[in-house]
Amino acid sequence: MLVLGVFVLAGTADVTTAASTLGLGPRFFPILVGCALILIGVCYVIDVLRGGRGDPEQSEDIDLRIPADLRSVALVSVIFLGFTAVLEVLGWIIAGALLFFGLSTVLGATHRLRAALIAVVLAFCTYAGFVWGLGVTLPGGLLSGVL
Amino acid sequence: MESFSLLLDGFATALTPINLVYALVGVTLGTLVGVLPGIGPAMTVALLLPITFNVPPASAFIMFAGIYYGGMYGGSTTSILLNTPGESSSMITALEGNKMARRGRAAQALATAAIGSFVAGTIATALLVVAAPLVVDFAISFGPEDYFALAVLAFTAVSSVLSRSVVRGLASLGLGLAIGLVGIDQQTGQARLTLGIDQLLDGIDVVVVAVGLFAVGEVLYVASRLRHAAPDVVPVGRAFLGRSDWSRSWRPWLRGTALGFPFGALPGGGAEIPTFLSYAAEKRLARGIAREEYGNGAIEGVAGPEAANNASAAGTLVPLLTLGLPTSATAAIMLAAFQQYGLQPGPQLFDHNPALVWGMIASLFIGNAMLLVLNLPLAPAWARVLHIPRPYLYAGIVLFAALGVYALNGSRVDLVILYLLGLLGYAMRRFGLPVAPAVIGMILGPMAEIQLRRALAIGAGDVTVLVRSPIAVAFLTLAALALLTPVFRRLATRRRTGNAVR
Repeated sequence: MLVLGVFVLAGTADVTTAASTLGLGPRFFPILVGCALILIGVCYVIDVLRGGRGDPEQSEDIDLRIPADLRSVALVSVIFLGFTAVLEVLGWIIAGALLFFGLSTVLGATHRLRAALIAVVLAFCTYAGFVWGLGVTLPGGLLSGVL
Repeated sequence: MESFSLLLDGFATALTPINLVYALVGVTLGTLVGVLPGIGPAMTVALLLPITFNVPPASAFIMFAGIYYGGMYGGSTTSILLNTPGESSSMITALEGNKMARRGRAAQALATAAIGSFVAGTIATALLVVAAPLVVDFAISFGPEDYFALAVLAFTAVSSVLSRSVVRGLASLGLGLAIGLVGIDQQTGQARLTLGIDQLLDGIDVVVVAVGLFAVGEVLYVASRLRHAAPDVVPVGRAFLGRSDWSRSWRPWLRGTALGFPFGALPGGGAEIPTFLSYAAEKRLARGIAREEYGNGAIEGVAGPEAANNASAAGTLVPLLTLGLPTSATAAIMLAAFQQYGLQPGPQLFDHNPALVWGMIASLFIGNAMLLVLNLPLAPAWARVLHIPRPYLYAGIVLFAALGVYALNGSRVDLVILYLLGLLGYAMRRFGLPVAPAVIGMILGPMAEIQLRRALAIGAGDVTVLVRSPIAVAFLTLAALALLTPVFRRLATRRRTGNAVR
C-alpha cells in the first residue's frame, strides 16, 4: 500500500512538470494531459484508499505465491547500469558477455562455466552479425585493434 | 471489384522471391516470440525497427505483418502445452487447451488451433479486403476534429477494456501521453519536458519505450519472483486432427472468426474480449459429448477462441491502415514504423502507396499458409523451445534489448532511459497497470495533439468546433460510454446478486 502511494506521488510529480511547461501554443496540450493526469491520480488514490488493489500481472515464469525478491531486482539493475557504464570502454563483446553472464547467474543459472561460454559466444555472434552483416555500429572497445 | 484487381497486383508484389523470404522470416520469428515467454510481437517489431531502416518499406511491412500473425499462432502453443499463455490473447485457449493436452490430446489441440487460425486468418483477411476500401471512402471526409474524437475514443476504449480497473488503465494511458510529450513541439519548435537533457530534444524513441516497458520491465519483474521449478511442458508429437475432431471444430472456427474480426476492428476491441465471448458461446452451444467434456478439455473451447484471436488480428489492420488508428500494442508499433518511413496510414495511403498496402494484405494470405505448414508438422520443435533454461532466456532478452536500443543512436543516454522505463514497466506490472495503453498513448498522443490544434486553428479558438461534426459527436459519445462500462458492469452484477438473494 505504501509503495502504491509513492507510485501515485511519482505520477503527480510527472503532472507538475507537465503543467508547468511554458510557451503559448505548445503549452495547451500538455496542460490538458497534466489536468487529466491529476484527475486520474486523484481517482487512483481514492481507489487505493477504498481498498482497491491492482492484481500483480500473471505470467508463465512468475510465481505469485512467493514474496517479491527485491534483491535480485537490485542486482539486475546494478548489472545493467554497470554494463551501460563500461560499454564504450570495454566494447560490445566484453561488456555484452559480462552482461549476459551476470544476468544469467543472478537469475539462477547453475552451470557457471556453461553460462560464461554461452555469454562469450552470443556476444561475439551478435557483434559479428550486426556489425559485419547489417552494418550496425557497435563499439569495439578493447578488442577494436584485434577485430 | 477495383480492390480485387489491386489485390492481384498486391500478390505480384508479395510473391517476389525476396518478399517471400521476408514473409518467411517474419512468420518464423513471430511464432518463436509467440512461443517464448517474456517477449511478444510488439517488442519484436520494435527491436527490428532500427535494423529495417535500409529495407524497402513493402518488404519491412510484409515481415512485420508476418510477425504479428505468427505471434498469434505461437501463443497458442504455449497456452496448450504449458497452461500459461504467452500472450494475453491466448489466455482463454489455456483453459480447455491445457486440459486436452493433459488428457493426451495435445496433438489435436495444437492442430485445431493451427487450422482454426488459418481458416480464421484467411476469412478475416478477405473481410479486410472488402472492408478497408469502404472505411476509406467513409474516412475521406473526416476533418481534424473527427480524427481527434477518434483518438479520444481509442484512448478511453483501450484503457477501459485492456484493464480490469479503468483507473489503472487510464493511469497507464496518462503515463504514455506524458512520455509522448517529451521533446520538441512539432509546430513551434519549443522544447518540452526535456529536463535540460539535450538527447531528449528529439523525444524518447518509440523503440526505447516499447523495449523498456515490455522487455526490461518483464525481466525485472521475473527477477523479483522467478519460478525456480522447471516448466512442466506436455510432450507432443505431430499435430493432427481426427474426423470427429474436424466435425466438432469447423463450426467454432467460423463463429470465432465472426466474433473476432469486428472486435479487432473496433478501437479498444482487441483480442481478449472476442476470445472470451467465443469461449462462452461455445460453452453454451455445447451438446452431447462436448457438454460433458467442457471444463475437462473440449476441442470446441480451443477451436473457437483461437479462430477469434487470429480474426481479430486481421480486424486490427482495418483501422490501422485506413485511419491510422492503432487498437493494439503491436499495431501501435507498426504505426510508428509507418512514420519512420515517412508514411501516414489513412485514406491517402491507399491512393499514394497501393503497392505497399495491397502487397502487405496479399502477404497476409501467404503468411497464413506458411504458418499452417510451420505449425502442423513442426509442433514438436516449437515445444522444445519451451525448454530453454529461463536464466539464459531472460539474459538473452536483455542483451538483445540493449543491442537494439544502443544501435538506434549509439547513445548511452538511451540505455539509461531504457533502464528507467524498465523500472516503470516493472512497477506497472507489480501494481496491475496494463502496459498496452501506455504504448498506444505515447504513439497516438502527438497525433491527437496535432489534430486538436489543427481543429482549433480552423475554428479560430472556438471550442465548439470540436463537436460541430456529427461524426465527432458520435465518437466522443462512444468514448464516454467506454469510460462508463465498469459502472454498467457493477450495476449488472449487483442486480444479479440482488435477484439471487430474493
